[in-house]
Amino acid sequence: MRNRFALPALVLLAAVSLGACAKKEPPPPPPTPIPVATAVPTPVPFKVTTVDLGRSIGDDKKVKDAATTFGPKDTIYAVVSTEGVAPKATLKARWTYGAKGTLVNEESRDIAPTGPAVTEFHVAKASGWPAGKYKVEVSADGTVAATKEFEVKK
Amino acid sequence: MNNPDENKKEPDFSDVTSGSSSTAPAPAGAAGTRTYTVVAGDSLSKIAKKMYGDANRWKEIWEANKDKVMNPDLIYPGQELKIPGA
Repeated sequence: MRNRFALPALVLLAAVSLGACAKKEPPPPPPTPIPVATAVPTPVPFKVTTVDLGRSIGDDKKVKDAATTFGPKDTIYAVVSTEGVAPKATLKARWTYGAKGTLVNEESRDIAPTGPAVTEFHVAKASGWPAGKYKVEVSADGTVAATKEFEVKK
Repeated sequence: MNNPDENKKEPDFSDVTSGSSSTAPAPAGAAGTRTYTVVAGDSLSKIAKKMYGDANRWKEIWEANKDKVMNPDLIYPGQELKIPGA
């Protein structure tokens, strides 16, 4: 008689135990994503950073042979480094001679920089530069950004 | 008494050649737009020689500046000219 009830009781106990084991706690809900502030880069405003003078430039348009004194037959480079982004920016180089500021050459170039950029202006004079003091004034969008002085010696 | 420097003849810079280039792209629809300011002694052919290395291309400069240069033989120091396609 004891054996007749013992087996089903064991089976029932095992089933309850298994059921208890199988019934797991529901998984916790996934954590609510915390909004993370995405850093949107602020566009750097366009500006002239440096102006360098020299006798020659490299493939990257940077001055290779920096100088502030030139010979009469030299080509003179003014290399304008800029940073920032602009759909259109106008760079101008105005070259003058002597105390009176006699205009030697003035040229401008429109660019659409998307980051750091290098723009070169150059002048040469086949018959030779007169000796004396010169200036090159670089402006960006009509505002003078830098003035460099140099000298031509015989 | 005259200052001797005042009597000195101004140097002639009309044979100055110039150029420019940039690592930055040109603005949309304006491939390499340049301007040039006329100096004393300039003519359109001299400017074409300076900017293109070819004096015969003066007509291109004239065409681009017909709004301000009516007569190609009359340009003035200080005039700012567009230099197309340079």
